[in-house]
Amino acid sequence: MRVEPLSEPASLIQQIAIQNRDAFSQFYDRYSPLIYSLAMRMLKVQSDAEDLLQEVFVQIWRQAQSYSAERGSPEAWILNIARSRAIDKIRSIRRMEKSFVLTGDPASAESSDNVETSAVESESKLAMNSALANLPESQRRVLELAYFDGLTQSEIAGRLAEPLGTIKTRMRAGIHRLREILATQAA
Amino acid sequence: MAAEHGEWLDRGEIYALGALDGRDLNEFEAHLASGCTICEAYVRDTRETLTLLPKSLNPAAPSPVLKGRILQQIEPATAAPAGEKKSSSSIWNWWGLGIGAFATAVVAFVLTSNLNRTKTELEKIKVQLAAAQTESAQKEEQLQLLASPDVRLVELKGLEAAPAAQAKFFWNPATRRGFLLAKGLPKTSTDKAYELWGIAGNEPVPAGVFSVDEQGQAKFPMPALAQEKNFDKFAVTIEPASGVPKPTGPMVLLGSL
Repeated sequence: MRVEPLSEPASLIQQIAIQNRDAFSQFYDRYSPLIYSLAMRMLKVQSDAEDLLQEVFVQIWRQAQSYSAERGSPEAWILNIARSRAIDKIRSIRRMEKSFVLTGDPASAESSDNVETSAVESESKLAMNSALANLPESQRRVLELAYFDGLTQSEIAGRLAEPLGTIKTRMRAGIHRLREILATQAA
Repeated sequence: MAAEHGEWLDRGEIYALGALDGRDLNEFEAHLASGCTICEAYVRDTRETLTLLPKSLNPAAPSPVLKGRILQQIEPATAAPAGEKKSSSSIWNWWGLGIGAFATAVVAFVLTSNLNRTKTELEKIKVQLAAAQTESAQKEEQLQLLASPDVRLVELKGLEAAPAAQAKFFWNPATRRGFLLAKGLPKTSTDKAYELWGIAGNEPVPAGVFSVDEQGQAKFPMPALAQEKNFDKFAVTIEPASGVPKPTGPMVLLGSL
């Protein structure tokens, strides 16, 4: 069903680019729950998630004119902004923690416990009937570690003690499965 | 090492996920920088697919206070700096009274404007809420259909009239509802449309009329069928836009249960 043009995300972004606060307010109402959920999943601390949400929307207010519909949907655009910022924070924290832990206990720096635990915890936060919940466990895990925990393919291979090729295969298989789910869910 | 293009696309998926690293990353970024529009589009498409991941999380609402804080932060800096010195004290009282009255008028005007704007915004929100509720109900209905253990998948293949066409039809014989996803169908003239049929033996039963978008794709939620037929096939034909009770036009898609 179509709603009035101003409420379409791309139109809202155009209005935000000319500093329309009403459009910004609508855009915020539409996307803040999604971005906040992502921020909470990635950063795990409410105050950090709120800070991230604020940074993301202030960036959108200031850089809305940089959005181009040819380069993706508004949803993908804002998620990309949020995720990039969250990964920067995660990696910064991880570097600090790693250097700190290495000073005291080199073995614990490579422990996979934290990541494993967060992946397991995240499963309980998945919405029922969600696309991710319908993926095979091995594919879901690598996608979660990459998307939500900001780990690279090599880091995931190290954490899970699996060959790099296996991790790449699982990631691609997971993405292909998501494509299929998206095709059937599209409505 | 020059990789085959299929390999670039493989890397593109992991790049879109943000997990590519090391030499793979350097080589792929160099490849993108060389201007490969295929990979650029593929990365973009993969990012769209990956939006499913955050949508899989249970939604969490941020504090309403946060919105106020953000709106405050983006407030245009039009107000005069606080504590700025005014003119000499001899005329201060008169000017002060005038400025005070003017400020009061401005505040009243702003409040009235804000009230009107809030009312307008409220009306917009009501309309959007109603639309969102309808859309949400439709999606919920479709989701329930797809999630039902009774649902059967029928693959429909393109026939001579539309050989590139294909479709998946999710048919729930228990509720007698279905959902058709089709692609590769030519766009019809304005007086024509596609009509879906359930076929029991040799008897076709009309199951709704739909059209395709510019890309030849269609997502058609089939309304519940009243007739208690045991369908063994489903088909799509081209018919007058208003639909017909019996097929008259060429059959473009056909599939069996």
